[in-house]
Amino acid sequence: MMSSTNNIGLEEILSSLNQLFEGVSTEKVDPRQYKIITPPEKTIPVLEFLKEKGYSHLSILTCIDWIAEKKFELVYILFNWGTGVTFVVSTYVNRDNPIFYTVKHIWPTAEYYERDVHEFFGVKFEGNENCEKPLILELWNDLPPLRKDFDPLEYSKKHYPDREYQKDAIHEARIIRGDVRGEIDG
Amino acid sequence: MPEKSLFAPLIAWKNLFEKPVTIRVPNEKREASPRYRGFHVNDWNKCIGCGTCAKICPTDAIEMVEVPDMKQDYGMKPQRPVIDYGRCSFCAMCVDICTTGSLNMTREYIFVSPNPEDFRFAPTEKGFLKKEPSQIKLGWVRDENSDLLDLDRVWPEVLPAQERVTSFVEFVKAYSKEQAVAEAARCVECGICTDRCPQHMRIPEYIKAIWRDDLKDALKWLLKGLESENYLGANPLSSVCGRVCTHRCEEVCAISHRGEPIAIRWLKRYIVDSIPVEKWYETVVFERVPKGKKVAIVGSGPAGLSAAYFLATLGYEVDIYESLNRPGGVMRYGIPRYRLPDEALDRDIAFIESLGVRIYTGITVGKDIPFQKLREAYDAIFLSTGLVLGRSTKIPGSDHPDVVQALPLLREIRDFLRGDGPEPKIAKRVVVIGGGNVAMDIARSLARLQKMKYGEVNVTVTCLERTFDEMPADKEEIEEAMEEGVKIYPGWGPKEVIFYPDRDSIKGLKCVKCKEVFDENGRFNPKFDESEFCFYDGDMIVEAIGQAPDYSCLPEEWRSKLQFVGNRILTNNLRQTQIPWLFAGGDIVNGPDIIHGIADGYWAARGIDEYLRGTERP
Repeated sequence: MMSSTNNIGLEEILSSLNQLFEGVSTEKVDPRQYKIITPPEKTIPVLEFLKEKGYSHLSILTCIDWIAEKKFELVYILFNWGTGVTFVVSTYVNRDNPIFYTVKHIWPTAEYYERDVHEFFGVKFEGNENCEKPLILELWNDLPPLRKDFDPLEYSKKHYPDREYQKDAIHEARIIRGDVRGEIDG
Repeated sequence: MPEKSLFAPLIAWKNLFEKPVTIRVPNEKREASPRYRGFHVNDWNKCIGCGTCAKICPTDAIEMVEVPDMKQDYGMKPQRPVIDYGRCSFCAMCVDICTTGSLNMTREYIFVSPNPEDFRFAPTEKGFLKKEPSQIKLGWVRDENSDLLDLDRVWPEVLPAQERVTSFVEFVKAYSKEQAVAEAARCVECGICTDRCPQHMRIPEYIKAIWRDDLKDALKWLLKGLESENYLGANPLSSVCGRVCTHRCEEVCAISHRGEPIAIRWLKRYIVDSIPVEKWYETVVFERVPKGKKVAIVGSGPAGLSAAYFLATLGYEVDIYESLNRPGGVMRYGIPRYRLPDEALDRDIAFIESLGVRIYTGITVGKDIPFQKLREAYDAIFLSTGLVLGRSTKIPGSDHPDVVQALPLLREIRDFLRGDGPEPKIAKRVVVIGGGNVAMDIARSLARLQKMKYGEVNVTVTCLERTFDEMPADKEEIEEAMEEGVKIYPGWGPKEVIFYPDRDSIKGLKCVKCKEVFDENGRFNPKFDESEFCFYDGDMIVEAIGQAPDYSCLPEEWRSKLQFVGNRILTNNLRQTQIPWLFAGGDIVNGPDIIHGIADGYWAARGIDEYLRGTERP
């Protein structure tokens, strides 16, 4: 599938990544997927570099909450339509005051990914003026819901008070099963 | 673009005769995808009411509601989930964690009603739309990737059979902290185990404490149970039960329906083994108000020690009288050391003694001290003398000195191993008669002694029960015995002891085929086929066919006032006999194991407390 020139190209990219960007680590996940961990100040230069080398498609920007380490991991997945190879570029930002920089000047579609990450994790992207505009959730007024410390049960109880039901559901179920005789509504 | 307009009407004309792409709701129903998370179905016969679905629900949509008149069995709670579809987010976590697999989701998703009451629903086999189960297409069902339960037990290190049979070293090693925490993490805290345990130990509570790595709290749950409810669920013999309990709790564990039950027994052992006994006293503090009354306990087995412990915590002065030289009864003299080392039992007893309980060993009530003396010196007496007399098959030849009974032999072996007595006679070939745990204990002990003395094992076990399943011994005991080289032949009844024609030594045991052990009324009434027989070689025969109580400590004057069921004493719930100041428990009342004895001790202590608070001594 992959031509030998592409392989050489890949090796060149990996070695220049290490040479050009200090503190960047690369790891082969499988022959078509490489993980690159970057220090925050090197992330955007690395993304620009990779885009130039043919990794032009930003498949997604997403986030992982490493609550014990007090970090958010921002994950940029870049795809090369020519070779079918994927680069997973990661960086870590502080969980307490999570701010990073926008990449919408590189990929205009990033505007929406950044809004999504902001809405669900609370990471702000400087330079994206629409970053804090609601995207999916309506009138959200709680912790960003994909943070590990968000408690869905507590949220549910707080926002949706229990209804006092009159119906004896177990009795109805026993009628449905034929355990007892009786009439049911509906 | 004039060319295009030429074709447009044609497409319109064509579509006029095509089927519409829209769906004609409600006349037409569209089926959801195969993994659709629609309305639930719950198989009530499979569901055990454990409530794990309700616990995991992130929107609090599931409530466990009691089902009236539901048959109450061990291993299940008479409650079933009721779902509020006004809250349910259809996330399917309830399905993915369901311990039995009774709860699933269907592809049904359309339901309209103006009445909010209709959205509260207890799913049954017939689903939300009340269809026959065969008409319902399942949607989301759990698969191995979505399963939220950890089904595989963390196994402690166990010595291989070849190694363990060469000594009496305890062959199951203790959990490491990592192992214990990982095993504790598997528990879903349903508490079905607590219902099953005769002593109702607070199992989910102490397992959760292990998971939090708060061993002091875990120890409190073991030794104090529910403090606010008179220490219900406490177990003063946790070091013992952490090793040799019959662990009925594990048989009903919710996880056991699809996987291996939580290793409750080994987790208990981990707690007590991890905290030195000197520290127990500062971890578990009892505020005892002296009651100024004295209780005598006859027999220092599980029931006696348990009663002593709970009476001491209530502020009573307790003296235990034990006829043998060391306290512990069956735990000291019955259960072999490879399962229960002395040190474990000593720890539990040391803690009980630290509460002020005095144990007088080597004193036989009725011989060294008259029962009447106890009656005069104490305000109440608890009788827990156990089953100490062996039973004989009484077959021809069984009166020979090389036909021995298991209990005295086990006692001799344990005394020999701890340096208290001479080496018992170890025959090169032994036949054991019996299919219970005592038979396994003696067979495995003799196998070890043979291996140590002669280098090879030659023990044959034979019993009436026709299959391994029918044998009363624990399955793991049978398996481990066979791994150690013991041969077990179920389904044979002993007929007669065969001797060498020329000398007074045993050649072996003749058996006949056992057709049936119990009659149609469930009574022990074995039937044999005399035409089918076999012969097992042995120089020595050990009878392990049950034990009987010895009431010789009780004077006839009192014995005649008691009521018996078979050879067991009848008591009320608080283990009180027909004589108000006389309480009884353990194997002479209930049996059959240590944890039942501990429960007897607990209830007797409460009974004695009630009795002594209610009556002033005349």
